[in-house]
Amino acid sequence: MPERIIKYTEAIKEATDQVMEIDPSVFVIGLGVSYKNGADGTTSGLKMKYADRVFDVPVSEAAFTGMAVGSAINGLRPIVHHGRVEFALFASDSIFTQAAKWNYMFGGNNNVPIVFRINVGRQWGNGPQHTQALYSLFGNVLGLKVVIPSTPKMAKGLLVSALRDKNPVVILEPRWLFQLKQDVPVEIYGEPLDKAKIMKEGKDITVVSYGDGLVSALEALSIIGDSVDVELIDVVSINPIDHETIFKSVKKTGRLLCVDTTNEAFNIGSEIISKVAQNQSIHLKNKPTSLACPNVPCPTSTALTEFYYPTKIDIANSILGLFNKPKVDKKLSFEELHLAPTLTII
Amino acid sequence: MKSDFLQAYKTMLLMRLAEQEIANLYLQNKIMSFVHFYVGQEAVAVGVCDALKKDDKVLGNHRSHGHYLAKGGDLKKMICELLGKENGLAHGKGGSMHMIDKSVNFVGTTPILGSVVPLSCGSAFEQKYSKKNDVTVAFFGDGAFEEGIVYETLNLAALFKLPLLFVVENNLFAVNSKLNDRRSPNYDIEKIVTGFGVKYVRADGNDYQDVSKKAKNLVEEVRTGVPVVLECITYRHMAHSAPIFDEGYREEDVLEKRQEKDPIKKIKQVLLESGMSEKELSDVEDDIKKNVLESIKFAMDSKYPPKESLYTNLYA
Ligand SMILES: Cc1ncc(C[n+]2csc(CCOP(=O)(O)OP(=O)(O)O)c2C)c(N)n1
Repeated sequence: MPERIIKYTEAIKEATDQVMEIDPSVFVIGLGVSYKNGADGTTSGLKMKYADRVFDVPVSEAAFTGMAVGSAINGLRPIVHHGRVEFALFASDSIFTQAAKWNYMFGGNNNVPIVFRINVGRQWGNGPQHTQALYSLFGNVLGLKVVIPSTPKMAKGLLVSALRDKNPVVILEPRWLFQLKQDVPVEIYGEPLDKAKIMKEGKDITVVSYGDGLVSALEALSIIGDSVDVELIDVVSINPIDHETIFKSVKKTGRLLCVDTTNEAFNIGSEIISKVAQNQSIHLKNKPTSLACPNVPCPTSTALTEFYYPTKIDIANSILGLFNKPKVDKKLSFEELHLAPTLTII
Repeated sequence: MKSDFLQAYKTMLLMRLAEQEIANLYLQNKIMSFVHFYVGQEAVAVGVCDALKKDDKVLGNHRSHGHYLAKGGDLKKMICELLGKENGLAHGKGGSMHMIDKSVNFVGTTPILGSVVPLSCGSAFEQKYSKKNDVTVAFFGDGAFEEGIVYETLNLAALFKLPLLFVVENNLFAVNSKLNDRRSPNYDIEKIVTGFGVKYVRADGNDYQDVSKKAKNLVEEVRTGVPVVLECITYRHMAHSAPIFDEGYREEDVLEKRQEKDPIKKIKQVLLESGMSEKELSDVEDDIKKNVLESIKFAMDSKYPPKESLYTNLYA
């Protein structure tokens, strides 16, 4: 197969397009999804191709999300797009209390096949009300399946699987990754919604992450080189978390580092470390560690965001530190610190 | 009268010239903050705020540079905030979308559409509760007016008879979505608003005289506990969130029309007709330009917040 490098956003659009071609019950709804460069490019061109199945909407998140949930209860398969998690919160009743509970509270009588694509997290200059990385909030809601695509390949495969699933699936898309590139298969394929993925095998330490933290961890691997053999795991699903894959890895390596790009309290790493402590402590050679953002909202000024997110250097040094190896002393450029990565993932 | 107009002209021009310079800084990547420009809508903020007393309060949205300056805000502190500096309005934590200045009773701005509306209602509630004779003004757009919370708040404001002026700046677009794409053909804002028992008035938001005349009458009524929606029809001259121009989606407000209806051109014409000379007006413009450039230099030379400030202010 020849290489075909495309962007994260293009992978999402391709998945949507390919599923829409096959399944007429799928439609797209959200603010600006019909624009030329709709939803940051993730829906661009779809309105031209599927004029009656792509809907721009009033600025009325609660109503249009509720409408989409109601249509899913009655058999359609909406893709609801929210450009930021803060906007989706206007629709929290429809997502958390209606879609998520419907099948259970009616004794399995009515599934709700809906996909919520919600953009989250880091973006330069967006400040406390546009950058919340509320992953755990969704991880905590029973009845939702929740996944985080960390690469273009996963973005495509997870969306396809979400659209084949019978349940409400929330896809939390880290905005920071929109420009990432990768060789993505042209054909349609699904990725399991409930399985963690081993990105790189190793024997010395298990590093678990997702989203922008995972990409920084990947970059940290090349800084560390051969001095430590890292096993890097993409958590992929946070509802449920695939603890078995992580346990197996920790049993092998005896060490665990979790990297979160949300605040320390109640994050994904806390959940993973808790389960590892309860089930695998006899295998641990060091206490599990976690790298995360401080317990304050993300401010706007670059002078402050500079210290907010764990960087590839922080990750490398925290791993090197565990093995008493010399730390790297490198300063990141302004671009590396503040602009979204455009690198190509292998 | 003439001096009122001159003062309004100065404030509007200050907004315009400041934002032109801010746009330059933005394009040079000097502003790492999400910026929404107010260019074209200046008559609304100035027309409304001219009707307010200092104790009256104002809240805004993501596009609030003009609202802040009209309420008597400090250009230097505003630009410092945009540049993420320590001496900015929110010490760099907020940026362009989050402005606050209690010294001029500018309560705050939030970019979450519609959220400003119930919060403003709370401000008006406090004013009534504490038996103050003040009003609150909420500035927000036609897009935000589609959030359900706005309709719920109309009912609350009328129920509690609050001194609240809702200023809806209808610039025809929510990002690039036209009104027709977002509202049913029979949507009638006047009927909706009055149906809740709230008074409704419409003004030409491109015309300072029309806005200020209507606002002056209304504010005194609002002060007695009559909530009002003042809808101002206006044009947003720049793109939604950047100075970059994408004319592709514009029909009703094409460039020539925006220029023809430019509120600053209009008020300048009024001043010329009232006897001021071109020379006097260009001197005024030079002064303002100088002020803007000084403010930008001041902000550029100002310090960034120290690292420790990341951890402060979560709680009081
Ligand atoms: C709750 C919410 N939904 C969506 C957005 C994204 N958004 C930001 S500005 C905007 C358009 C706002 O239009 P309007 O209220 O008319 O104000 P304008 O930008 O035209 O001044 C949208 C949809 C948001 N900020 N908040």
